Parts: sequence; structure tokens; C-alpha cells
Amino acid sequence: MGGILQQCIHSGFGVEMFKEDLTGPEYAERYIEKMQLAGLEFRTNSLVTELHEDRTLVYTNPIEGYVEVQGKAVILTMGCFERTPGQINLYGDRPAGIMTAGTAQSFLNKDGFLVGKRVFILGSGDIGLIMARRMTLEGAEVLGVAELNPYSSGLARNIVQCLDDFDIPLYLSHTVIQVIGSSRLESIIIAEVDEQKQPIPGTEKTFEVDTLLLSVGLIPDRHLTAQAGIKLHPRTGGPIVNNRYETNVPGIFAAGNGLHVHDLVDWVSLEGERAGESAARYVQGELTDAELISTEPGNGIIYVVPHYVLKQVDEDVRFYFRVDNVYKNVKVNIYKDDELLKSLKKNVMVPAEMEMIKVANQDILDASRVRIEVEVL
Amino acid sequence: MYDVIIIGSGVVGALHARELSKYPLSILVLEKNNDVSMEATLANSAVVHSGHDPKPGSLKAKFNLLGNRMYRQLSKELHVPLLECGGLVVATSPEEEQVLDGLFERAGVNGLLENEYQMLTREEALILEPNLSDQVSKAMSLPTTAVTFPWEMAIAGLENAINNGAQLLMNHEVTDITRSEHGFVVHAGGDVFEAKAIINSAGAYSAHISEMLHPKFFTITPRRGEYFVTDNRFPIVQTVVYPAPGKKGKGILATPMVHGNTLLGPTSNFVDFDAQHQTTPEGLNEVRNNITKTIKHVPFDKIIRSFAGSRPTADAGDFIIEETSPGFVNLGGIESPGLTAAPAIAKYVVEELVIPRFSVLPKSDFDPIRKKRVKMHELTINERNEHIKDNAKYGHIVCRCETVTEADLDAIHRPVRARSHGRDQTAYRAGAGRCQGAFCSLEVLKILSRELNIDPIDVEYKPRSFVLAAKTKGAQ
Repeated sequence: MGGILQQCIHSGFGVEMFKEDLTGPEYAERYIEKMQLAGLEFRTNSLVTELHEDRTLVYTNPIEGYVEVQGKAVILTMGCFERTPGQINLYGDRPAGIMTAGTAQSFLNKDGFLVGKRVFILGSGDIGLIMARRMTLEGAEVLGVAELNPYSSGLARNIVQCLDDFDIPLYLSHTVIQVIGSSRLESIIIAEVDEQKQPIPGTEKTFEVDTLLLSVGLIPDRHLTAQAGIKLHPRTGGPIVNNRYETNVPGIFAAGNGLHVHDLVDWVSLEGERAGESAARYVQGELTDAELISTEPGNGIIYVVPHYVLKQVDEDVRFYFRVDNVYKNVKVNIYKDDELLKSLKKNVMVPAEMEMIKVANQDILDASRVRIEVEVL
Repeated sequence: MYDVIIIGSGVVGALHARELSKYPLSILVLEKNNDVSMEATLANSAVVHSGHDPKPGSLKAKFNLLGNRMYRQLSKELHVPLLECGGLVVATSPEEEQVLDGLFERAGVNGLLENEYQMLTREEALILEPNLSDQVSKAMSLPTTAVTFPWEMAIAGLENAINNGAQLLMNHEVTDITRSEHGFVVHAGGDVFEAKAIINSAGAYSAHISEMLHPKFFTITPRRGEYFVTDNRFPIVQTVVYPAPGKKGKGILATPMVHGNTLLGPTSNFVDFDAQHQTTPEGLNEVRNNITKTIKHVPFDKIIRSFAGSRPTADAGDFIIEETSPGFVNLGGIESPGLTAAPAIAKYVVEELVIPRFSVLPKSDFDPIRKKRVKMHELTINERNEHIKDNAKYGHIVCRCETVTEADLDAIHRPVRARSHGRDQTAYRAGAGRCQGAFCSLEVLKILSRELNIDPIDVEYKPRSFVLAAKTKGAQ
């Protein structure tokens, strides 16, 4: 149990939830203990292979074999997966030594295997940055990180602690244009890209490396959603949910990186708690239906979660969203229909950092939609 | 002393081994790589072509049609999936309609039966393939077109040959061949073998092998083809869609694969040996730009992989199938439609060229059947649980995207022993899905290391390519 946390042996977890600086496994352990104390039943080594609209699901493990169960409520907390070398335009051979940063992390942190000695990283996602430091500490040489965008897609603290502190160069507006090596990776060529993200001739640089790690984005795991008829959001890649974290299928809830990709585990936990509480209320028959208020990403915003708010008295709503670019000296405006409800001044906003704004539920109950947008001052 | 040595374990070599194993002969297959069928057989369109396309009178035309007619039984005997999906060659302009008319005529000359090729209107074609592009005006239907799984076909052919007495050695690159009193002396991988006859099925390297014994009489140039593979949860086509052929061969196809993915490609470019497996921006853009001519709703965001395969093209353009000196059979330029033609070529070569040298009769105890592997996804929950009761590994799913169980990864215990991490991706499909092995490659590596009884560090991906560079402090 604990998912990806078990391979995140660095610290930085739990600052919000526990006011402590924990490692991933330590953070996971806190919740595993809570589960055990509460006497919850669990199955490990088990894969759910089917999920249906009536909340029946099939799982399998070596001890029980395939088992069909029906939940009164089901919560999807399956996390996300990394965009793969196959999903991006990586040109050249297909040698060993090209993998996602998270795969290299599992090899290294779970079983103590170093996947390469001379490493380049494509993409400045947090896992890539963390792995730049981790591989360096284990004796590998990390020659650089290339990021397609003119800004980092990882947290600022990771740029400082994982790259700057180890003198690892970050090449912004650069990408890998070719991988070379038929059996094992031998070298890569990177180039600067223009505003259309096309490589600029003459800017090529070659690095002799045996390993290329990819940290080019995360996508919610949705392998069970189609069969159950759960609607997905085109931008988050995860299910569409209301403020109870309930999907369009009654009694099926979603939270965490399987809903939308987070930066901080603490926020994942908060979301999980909210979804769990809703599921419990659903089972008790306490949830009632209501009209929906839609939430809309306006100017400068990629998406807003939850996608709907129910028109009924409930807890305050936490709106999670991301901006589509780097913004400095801006205001975030929340509109209730076309009326400005709330406005917050922000010095800096970056796509790498998820934003959260809390709105009192009763303040929006008379609205039909809520829009969040960035206003450049 | 072997009776026959086969050089190369692609689908051509594999099916020759199987055909020969019907006779009381000693057979050895030599493979330079650390696994079988790692070259042209590994990366191609997987299509069992109908025989409509090759130049009339060519060996390609002859063996394509014969091979197509053997595939159904062969697939049944070897338990290799065969998707009998049919094919459509589509025209999108008046000029292409003319090409199609020419092709229709050619299909008849090539010997296709009346019910094996029909000209269809757009409306008729749409019934067979609803996802044709709006420009498609006319189509030729080829109902005997099918799709196989080339790697499994080659492995299955070899397994069946081995079960019938053939031998296989991997990591044995042939470095020299000389003539001897009784036949040939073959130097490979540091060992020396003798054989009365040799079949050269070394694919892209067949000219090189031939020149060890003969003056140069053909050249092989790799012809690269680049492809996209899409996520198998979103099928795009239900039949093989060919464009009207142009100067560069059959063009860029949309092919439904036996595991539900769709293959888009290939391009066709002559390249150096070094570049034969390299994808390029130009090539993949060509696929992107051309595929929308014949089909629509192409989900480019559902692409899970791109790759480049290589066709071993001979300078003469046709297959080379001949006994170039007594006992030495050269198979050169077996490119598309070589996968389709392979069983027919094997039958011809064995029956007409090899067996007459030995004057032997077929064995009475040849078993044509390769035992079926358990395929959990084809079974009901109760049937699955029966298997899990016998073998708990069937309950342990290693690859979640393709639901490959630990029991499926029994490569080491099968007649064609897998030693490579790459094999699991391709043949057993662990890591072949949308996460491309991100979640399961560590577990697959550990299973391989345990089953092979080797250190994880020594597990190879491709020949001489390590997966792991080192162990860190305290690693087991």
C-alpha cells in the first residue's frame, strides 16, 4: 500500500498534514497505521480488472483468484502514470536505457539498481528533478535536463535543491531531437526550440550518455473508467466530478492523482478525505441530488476541479486549478455568473504549482456557473 | 555433423526448420542475436497479404498466393492468432481509381480466385470499413487478407521444430563457411559445425552470408519503414486499409493488430544498415500526413509507440530462392510479402531442393501441433480460477495494461528460451501497453533473473545491452 510514495524516499511530505517533514514511505505508513487501527479490510497484490456502472468490480490475486464484489460505493484512487517515450516524438533507435524517471526511481529506491552511469533527463517534471539528485548521489553523472517550455514544469524548490545544488544545467526551451544507439543508448542530441516548439538548426548539442530519463508529464490512470461509463475531462485526463468528488456514475467517487495530477501529497490526502467522507454519506443515504453549478476555467486557467458544485448547503468548496503560463503581478478573479465574487492578488503564478481557492458554499448557491480567470495587471 | 544448418531465425528460418523437422534429419538453427526473430520479423506490418500486389510472374507473386492459402491451417496448428479481417485497397481520386483498375487486373493475373477480389463502390466499402475517409471513392476488397503476430509465428514455428527434433543456438553469429568433403564447415560464435546442406535465411545479412562461399551476385539494402502503434482500447479500423499503390510499394496502411492495437505505416526509404531501425521526423510526419487520406478519426493522442522496421530488399527486386551451389540454398531479399510467403517458400525449398539430396521419407511421428498457451482473457472467471488453483502465478498480474500474468512469463521454460528483457515486451506483451513497461519492467526483470537463475545485472535487453548499470549499497 502507499502507491508511488513507497519509492519516494526523499523528504518533503506531510508538511501541511502533520507539520512534519516526512519521507514518502513514512507518510504512507501514517495512513496505513490509521487504516489498520480502524480495522479496515484490504487486499494487496490485487489488480482490479473490471468495474461496472452498478459498482460491481472484479479483482484478482494469487491467493483468491478472480473475485467479483459489489460496493455500495466505490472510490477510484488509482493514481497516475507517466507519459512514455512512445507518447512523445522521440526520434532514432529504440535501445535500452530510455525510460521514465519514475521507472528509474522504482529500480533505484525499491531494489537498489542503478539504471545508468551517464544520464540526461528530458522534461523538468518533479520526478525528473528528484531523480537528477538521486542518481547523482548514487554515483551517476547527470549531464543536464532539457525542458521544452521556457519555464520549468517542476516545483521551484526542486530546481534549487536537485539541480542548482549539484551544478546540473537546466536547458529551457530545449528538447531531445535524436537518440542514438542500437542496443544500449550511446548518445543524444538536443536542440533549442523556437516559439512553435520546433528545433532551431545550428543549436544542436550532443551528449554521450547511456541513459535518458523522461519526466514529461503525468496522466491519471483511467483503465477502469470506460467500462463503467465514467466521463473524463479532456484537460485533466481524469473523471469529471462534483464538489463531493462523485463522478457522473452515482456512488463512484474519484480523488488524488487519478482525478487530476497534484504536486503535493498533502493535498492528495485532503481530497481523499473529502471523497471518503462523501462515499460514507452516500452509503448512509445522506446524499441528495441537486441542480449543478458548473465551474469554468477562464482566461489563463487550464482547468478547475471540481467541475460542478451541487446547489445545496454543504462545506466550503475548494477549487483547485492550474494556470497555462508563467504570470507575474496578476489577480485571480472568481466570478459568480458575471459578477465578481472574489479577487486575489498574486505576485507569481506558474503552471508547475497547483492553486487552491476556498469559497464559502452559500456564496455561490444562487449561481449557475462559477468562472476563475487570471487578470494581468 | 548436421544434415541441415539454417542460418537466421526469422520467420523464414523458423518455418524452414519446422518443415524440415517433418523428416528424419538433424537440423540446427544458428542465430546471431540473443533471441530469435529480432530483425525484419520483429518489426513489420504483420499483414498476410492476399497476393494481389506483386508483379505477375515474380517469385513474390507465386509464393505470396501459395503462402496466403497456407496461413489458416498453419495458425491453427501452431496456435498463433490470425485476424481474418480482410483488406481494402482504396482510391481517393480519378487517377487512383485507374491504378485500382490496374491492380484489379493484376490480382486476376496473379491467380486470385473470383471470390478473393472484388471491386466495390464507396458505399459497399463503408459496410466493410466504416472509418474510411470522405475522399475514398472506390475500393478493391481482398477478403483473404489477414493479420498475424509475426514474432509468435516465428517462435511457434521454432518451438514446433524443436519439439520435433530440431536444435537452436542463439548468440551464434556465422563468421565463416567453407566447403568440406561432406558438405560445409560453419564457424559461428566460436564453435565449429559441419553440415551436409545449408539454408541461408539471414534476412538483411543474407548477401553477406552468401559471399562467404560465392562470388557476390546480389546486394541487400535495408528499406526502412516507420510506424505508429495506437492504444488497443481505441480500435481505429476493422480491416486492413491500403492506399492505391504508388512507386514506393504498398504505401501507408492502417492495420488492425491481433491484440487490438492499430498499426499506422510504413514509410519506405532505402537507408544504411546503421539507420534501419531509426525513426525520423520526416518519416513519422509522412505517416501522419498520409494516413488521413484513407481513413478518418485518427487518434494521434492515443499513440503509444513509434518504431522503424527494415525490409531486406534485394537489388533485383524479387525474392532470391535458389540452390546457388550444391547443398547451399540462398534465400535473399525475402521482404514484403515475405511473411505471407514464408510457409510456401519453406515447403518448396524443403521438398524440391533439400529433401532430394537426402532421399528420406517423412517421419511418421511428426507432431504438427504446438500446444496452446493458456490465454486468461479468453476464459470465464470460473475457468480462470481453475488455472489459478493449479498455478497461483495465473492470479498474479504483472503487466496491468495488457493483463499479462506471472505464469505467462514462462519464456525460460519453453523450447525457444527467452533471455532478453525485450522478448517479454514483444512476445508476451508485458510492457506492450499504454504505460510501455513503466510499471512492470522492474518486476519482469526480477522474474527473468529468478527464472534464468542469473544476476539481475546480467539480464540483457538486446544483445550486449544491459538493463541495469550497477547495484547500489545494500542491494541484494
